[in-house]
Amino acid sequence: MNLEKVIFSFFMIMALTLNFGFFYGDVDNPAHHNVIELLAVIVVNLIATVLKFGDRSQMGAMLLATSLVAIVQLVSASVVWTIAVHVHDTGLTSGVMSTIVSLSGGAMLANIISVILLMIETTMLRH
Amino acid sequence: MNLVTSMFLRRMRAPFLLVICAYTVAIVGLIIIPGVDDKGNVWRMDIFHAFYYVSYTATTIGFGEIPYPLSQGQRLWSLVTIYITVISWFYAIGRVLRLAQDKTFLEAAMRSGFRRDVRNLDSPFYLICGFGETGKAVVSSLTEEHFRTVVIEKDPNNLNELMLNEMPEHVPAITGDASDPEQLELAGIQHQLCRGVIAVTPSDEANLKIAITSKLLHPDIRVACRSEISEFAENMKSFDTDYIVNPYETFAHIFALAMHSPSLHLIYDWLTGSPNTRLSDPVYFRYGHWILCGYGRFGKQLYKHLQTHNIPTTIVDASSEVETEYKATLDKGQCKFIRGIGFDADTLKEAGINHAAGLIAGTDNDSNNLSIIMTARAINPDVFVVARQNQLNNHALYRASKANLVMRPREIIARRIRVLFQTPLLIDYFSLARDRDAEWANITVSRLSAVVGEVRPHLWTVLISKQDAPAICHGLEFGRKITIGHLICDPNARNHKLKCVPLLLSRDHEQLLMPDDDAEIHPLDKILFCGTRDVKNSMQSVLSQMSSLNYVMTLKKEPESYVWRKLHRYFNREERRSESRDDASTDN
Repeated sequence: MNLEKVIFSFFMIMALTLNFGFFYGDVDNPAHHNVIELLAVIVVNLIATVLKFGDRSQMGAMLLATSLVAIVQLVSASVVWTIAVHVHDTGLTSGVMSTIVSLSGGAMLANIISVILLMIETTMLRH
Repeated sequence: MNLVTSMFLRRMRAPFLLVICAYTVAIVGLIIIPGVDDKGNVWRMDIFHAFYYVSYTATTIGFGEIPYPLSQGQRLWSLVTIYITVISWFYAIGRVLRLAQDKTFLEAAMRSGFRRDVRNLDSPFYLICGFGETGKAVVSSLTEEHFRTVVIEKDPNNLNELMLNEMPEHVPAITGDASDPEQLELAGIQHQLCRGVIAVTPSDEANLKIAITSKLLHPDIRVACRSEISEFAENMKSFDTDYIVNPYETFAHIFALAMHSPSLHLIYDWLTGSPNTRLSDPVYFRYGHWILCGYGRFGKQLYKHLQTHNIPTTIVDASSEVETEYKATLDKGQCKFIRGIGFDADTLKEAGINHAAGLIAGTDNDSNNLSIIMTARAINPDVFVVARQNQLNNHALYRASKANLVMRPREIIARRIRVLFQTPLLIDYFSLARDRDAEWANITVSRLSAVVGEVRPHLWTVLISKQDAPAICHGLEFGRKITIGHLICDPNARNHKLKCVPLLLSRDHEQLLMPDDDAEIHPLDKILFCGTRDVKNSMQSVLSQMSSLNYVMTLKKEPESYVWRKLHRYFNREERRSESRDDASTDN
């Protein structure tokens, strides 16, 4: 068992599960989406990205790319949230909420690809 | 991914993780701990405010307690925030600084910078292997002519000098073993614009390996090698090395020139010198009895030339092996062999210094050579001295010794390579000139100095091709008779000649030495000129512009632009007709 692999896979899968947790629920209902969970998703995704730094293999490059996509999506979601609540005082209307949730949905897709790539790499190692 | 970026990211992984974790802990704490707003209600920071607060605290900017004064609990947590975030930032910055001083990282950065420099070269360049004294001389002479060069050198101290010296062109350089094919590839040997490889490392073996690698990796490339040992030179030849430069052999040729005619030697010294060389005084060779001290690689080469001129020579050498070797090849009675180094008066007297015409101090030790010269001059002040200088830093000593001819291996190689790559016709010029008598050389010196002055002229080769001389080619296609005289006519002032001298006209089967003004030019001729640099530019307009060529051939100014030309032709119709009628009548 490789400790590095454990930590790496842990953060990758954690990023996906947290992302799903935030995404799950009615698209326009603020009560179904927790802001702390969004923070957790961003932090875990950031850690997962940094863990991929410096890997020069093709797979490493792909994983880094998917993580960067997820980060861009999540950060835009959090920026939308901040602007709606603190800058414009419009509050979490159903329009704003659905924007945030769909952005996090995109990030989830990227995270799913990451996990699939991780699984492919693992199965290839078996051979 | 680039090696440098990936190295940076890999090293920065830990600090980045630490910063992210510290921020998260700080933000979460600030969200949980309750505070009080301006109306006394319980108030908790949201993520936005917490992130804002941590960001300005962690970077030690410290705007204060925003938006409301903090509660005691929040202040306590702020202490924790400050210490963990600031320390993790310092750790990250320290990592960056340490990385910037890391040897491996710096080398990787230098290599990738070098690779980029070489890849971005956009004009023909030469690859110089070895940046010792010879390499330096070659690089500076090539860059003076605005050729680009790339340098590989083993010793980083030698390269530091390159960084300090201002070169007219940027010279990408790297520390490394030039005989390693990987280094040569890195230095752009397979680059499309790489025109030549010049191997001037001190080791013949390394030079041989460079020649082999270059010819295998880039067969079209021209390769010049320095070689002092004949076995290696033979091996280099078998690999189609274009030029093999042996300093002893080259000097022997120069010696032969001086023997042949002082003026010819003077021309050689002047034309192959560095750009600011002035015409010096001729060296008058003296015939008579000669003494050769040191019968090694250098001495043997000179001995050959002394023999061809039937000059009686006494050899002085300390080694007994050399004596037996020499005696085995002995066939002429007039030559003597004396054992000894030659710096003592007795040995020199035995060799006949009293009545000697010349002396060669050719051992491989500078102090021996200098003391041979001193002793000899003390006995016979008029003796003609040829000295071999081994160490570059003894330059001043040899100058003070007032030797008539000094052989400096590095300078000789650098000159030879410069000539080989820039004006190869000059070598043909001298081999033809050697067949002429001394009188011819005297006249040539005075002609050259009268036309171009005392400072070394610029040398250039004109190739009569569609690309280099379109106007001339066009004219020749019409059946015009174009001569050298037309080329050296000033395109701006009629009846005026450009200040340049044609040295050699070379075509397939014949070579004309110092062609006359009425020598005809044919397509694909190569002509070597010497003159000042601005003369070269003036000549360029005759070569490439039809109007200039017409002007120098007919002594008439012609308009250059299209519209003007049409108008000119229209207004001069009458004149032209009468002219052609005149021509027809004279023909009849």
